[in-house]
Amino acid sequence: MRVGKHRKLAALIAAGTLLLAGCSSSSDEGSGAYAGPVKDTPGTINVLAWPGYAEDGSTDPNVDWVTPFEEATGCTVNVKTYGTSDEAVQLMQGGGYDVISASGDASLRLIYGGDLQPVNLDLIPNYVDIFDNLKDRPWNTVDGENYGVPHGRGANVLQYTIGKVNPAPTSWSVVWEPNSPAKGKVTAYDSAIYIADAAVYLMATKPELGITDPYALDQTQFDAAMALLTQQKPLIAEYWADYTKYIGAVQSGSITVGTSWQVIANVLNGEKATVGAVKPVEGATGWSDTWMISSKTEAIDCAYKWLNHIITPDVNAQAAEWFGEAPANSKACALTANKDHCKLYHAEETDYWSNVYYWKTPTEECLDGRTDVMCVPYAEWVKAWSSFRNQ
Amino acid sequence: MQRSPKARAASLISLPLAWLLIIYIGSLFALFITSIWKIDTFTSKVIREFTLQNFIDVFSDRAYFNVTIRTLVVAISVTLICVLIAIPMAFFMARIAKPKSRPVLIALVLTPLWASYLVKIYAWRTMFYPETGFLNWLISPLGGSSPGFGMIAVIIGLSYLWLPYMVLPIYAGMEKLPNSVLDASADLGAKPGRTFFGVVLPITWPAIIAGSIFTFSLSMGDYITVQILGGTFQMLGNVVYQNFSLNLPFAAAVALIPVIIMIIYLGSVRKTGALDNL
Amino acid sequence: MALIEIRNLAKAFGTVKAVDGVDLDINSGEFITLLGPSGSGKTTVLRMIAGFEDPDSGTIKLSGQDITHLPPYDRDVNTVFQDYALFPHMDVLANIEYGMRVKKVPKEERREKALKALEQVRLSGYENRKPSQLSGGQRQRVALARALVNRPSVLLLDEPLGALDLKLRQQMQIELKELQREVGITFIFVTHDQEEALTMSDRIAVFDKGRIQQLDKPAAIYEKPRNEFVAGFVGVSNLISGAAAEKLLGKKGTFTVRPEKIRIEGKGAAGVIREVEYLGPATRFLVELDAGVRLVVLQQNSEQSAVDVESLRGRKIALSWDKESEYQVS
Repeated sequence: MRVGKHRKLAALIAAGTLLLAGCSSSSDEGSGAYAGPVKDTPGTINVLAWPGYAEDGSTDPNVDWVTPFEEATGCTVNVKTYGTSDEAVQLMQGGGYDVISASGDASLRLIYGGDLQPVNLDLIPNYVDIFDNLKDRPWNTVDGENYGVPHGRGANVLQYTIGKVNPAPTSWSVVWEPNSPAKGKVTAYDSAIYIADAAVYLMATKPELGITDPYALDQTQFDAAMALLTQQKPLIAEYWADYTKYIGAVQSGSITVGTSWQVIANVLNGEKATVGAVKPVEGATGWSDTWMISSKTEAIDCAYKWLNHIITPDVNAQAAEWFGEAPANSKACALTANKDHCKLYHAEETDYWSNVYYWKTPTEECLDGRTDVMCVPYAEWVKAWSSFRNQ
Repeated sequence: MQRSPKARAASLISLPLAWLLIIYIGSLFALFITSIWKIDTFTSKVIREFTLQNFIDVFSDRAYFNVTIRTLVVAISVTLICVLIAIPMAFFMARIAKPKSRPVLIALVLTPLWASYLVKIYAWRTMFYPETGFLNWLISPLGGSSPGFGMIAVIIGLSYLWLPYMVLPIYAGMEKLPNSVLDASADLGAKPGRTFFGVVLPITWPAIIAGSIFTFSLSMGDYITVQILGGTFQMLGNVVYQNFSLNLPFAAAVALIPVIIMIIYLGSVRKTGALDNL
Repeated sequence: MALIEIRNLAKAFGTVKAVDGVDLDINSGEFITLLGPSGSGKTTVLRMIAGFEDPDSGTIKLSGQDITHLPPYDRDVNTVFQDYALFPHMDVLANIEYGMRVKKVPKEERREKALKALEQVRLSGYENRKPSQLSGGQRQRVALARALVNRPSVLLLDEPLGALDLKLRQQMQIELKELQREVGITFIFVTHDQEEALTMSDRIAVFDKGRIQQLDKPAAIYEKPRNEFVAGFVGVSNLISGAAAEKLLGKKGTFTVRPEKIRIEGKGAAGVIREVEYLGPATRFLVELDAGVRLVVLQQNSEQSAVDVESLRGRKIALSWDKESEYQVS
């Protein structure tokens, strides 16, 4: 608690300096993470999560890993879900949330914005079991400071309605090319980050553009991606951000193909297999999510307990299986209900992930290491997306 | 204690007045102020420094001009449809139906307002599904097909939502109309049609304008119906919604467009006396 | 042939018989008043002539043509409404021109006639005012001009002076009568004010309970009421009946004597003055006769002065009247 208050004060002073100086560098970090030890302080944590990450039985009474946590720790958990990383950033900046499951395109913005605090991994016993290729990655570690624990990863799959799209697609061309057999029934993700999906397709189809990282686009590459999106627009029935709406549209037949999450396909296949979901040959965008702690939390002990709980092998197994992604905890693979889950989601295959491009926040300084050009930063992506959607 | 009645009245209304000032004027002012601030393009945090860049962005990009026009087209269409449906409805309720059945009719007009906005719009969504929706089932035997999601669906959905807000003022206006004025018109040789267009409509006009203020402004600001029924179609509200999380000042600048349009609209209808009808 | 012939007209609202078998002939150029208390059926008859109400039975003929079930816009009659019913969104001129505009009268002719009608009701210069900017009397005149400008064969007036104050009402009574003479149109005038009816009408139809109780010239209605209702409704009634009639008049039946026909003299029927009302030009006495009846007596103040009048209360006096002033009712 003492430390928490200290941090608040620091944040306040930093904010004040920011105001007075009009300075945009807002990093007030570096004062170190929670020293611990984690005490049995009861408290309430407000959890901001992707749908399916913090199930408390309200979606399906049998799917619940929040209640056992509450019973074991005495911490109360309130869950709020969000539809896009942009929404997550906005909610988190508004305050009131203690922990968040953030994708790579949200985490850096939050870290640099001073909304998150470094995490003392020594206080999270389950961290040792996390796959090594998820540790200390650019989206969860800044300047050697860790900001959270990995939860899971997955690819944004190509979903199609079985029998409506023939033959079953193996390439993104079905959503991009004007002669698509699914014209008028295609969907796409309603967020600026979807521009990267266009870049992924261009990497395979237009190598002359020289794209190596779909989040590091110079102006020429970016313009090509926007042109591809414009070409796609007549194919689109609806853009989606709300996955319940998406599910309804697929069931009604107004959408037959498009980018999706495995969890959506799983819900649609709940009664009988109606859709297929594949990672196409071009590769795919994807996510690697991290649980992180707000810099303003007042329930630091509960927050640490939650981070440890959520990556416990059996909880991580449940969450990964429910959402349909690869778990982050290597021991989770032995505990999934479907023994083939980790195989199905390629959790242990390093090769599979080589053409999954995890969401990141594009910056002016090219993320692929090029120094001879400036890349288009995310703010410009957002402007372009907004303009494109209202064209 | 020995204060004048005027002072007492002033103190009595000062609280609601303060509320009005803070909530309404204050929020408009905050909107305006936000629209002239910068943001940190990486973290999306607002920086309180003056800039006109947001307005330059809004006005230099043809997309936002187009979306403003589309929004106006929708708001005007919705208003016209509501007027066309509401006038005969209100006339029937106020002048033809027996006085005893009027409360029942008003209740019926209000029933759509009893259900949640979202429930109603999702119900319309299922009706508009291009292949399996009710509308397609209804129209396909006639050789047509459901319009599917898009501008037409949005106009129909919004017209349905805001119709009661048009019917009620017109009903009130028509009910106030004395019988003798209608008798006088017939007495002077006017057939019912002439009486309707020459007397009933002009006298009810302020009430119609009053209703249009509701339908027009509610349509201008809507984004949820558009999200659910619009397909790829977007309106100003959606631009605000899409941008407020990442670029609040830009969203504020866009949000000022409907505010300005409404101010112009209210200013132009002020003379009709419609504002006294609200 | 009468201009309007009404035969056996009847109309019920629910179970209430508003009009219950009315026969009435109205002559061209006549000023006829339908007089009666509210609910007597007079307004309903007027509204049936105008076409606003559809009769249950009976016929109405105008110039020999059956108009019983014609809509209002096909009848050659115009109405002046009790609440004037001016169109609030039009100025005075537009209100007056409305009927002619409907009938597609050319613009210049329309304008000319409207201005003339406005002059006739002495409102020249007001043509661009809105009804809300006029006084009650001015609105009344506009309503009148709006109806008259169409030169209908019959003008219907539904208690048009009811909303005006006394002075204005009396002035308008005179103007209306003059106007009627000037234009020569048949006026059917509805009122519950007996004085108004007596002043203005050529003939009066007294209504009660949906029927015409008496139809006659004003003087005849006043002096020779056919029944108790007419006697009571028109003027102040002195009704003498039963034992009192036998004692005072030596006759059986119900009789009436108008208050101004009675003299206070030394001889005649003995009684006591109970109330005295000083009215300016006249004084009204309430006398209780020993025969057991109360009579109202009206005396010109040509002889007594106001001071004397007050001292008369409680005085024993005797009343007398000429035999021809007695009139038997029913």
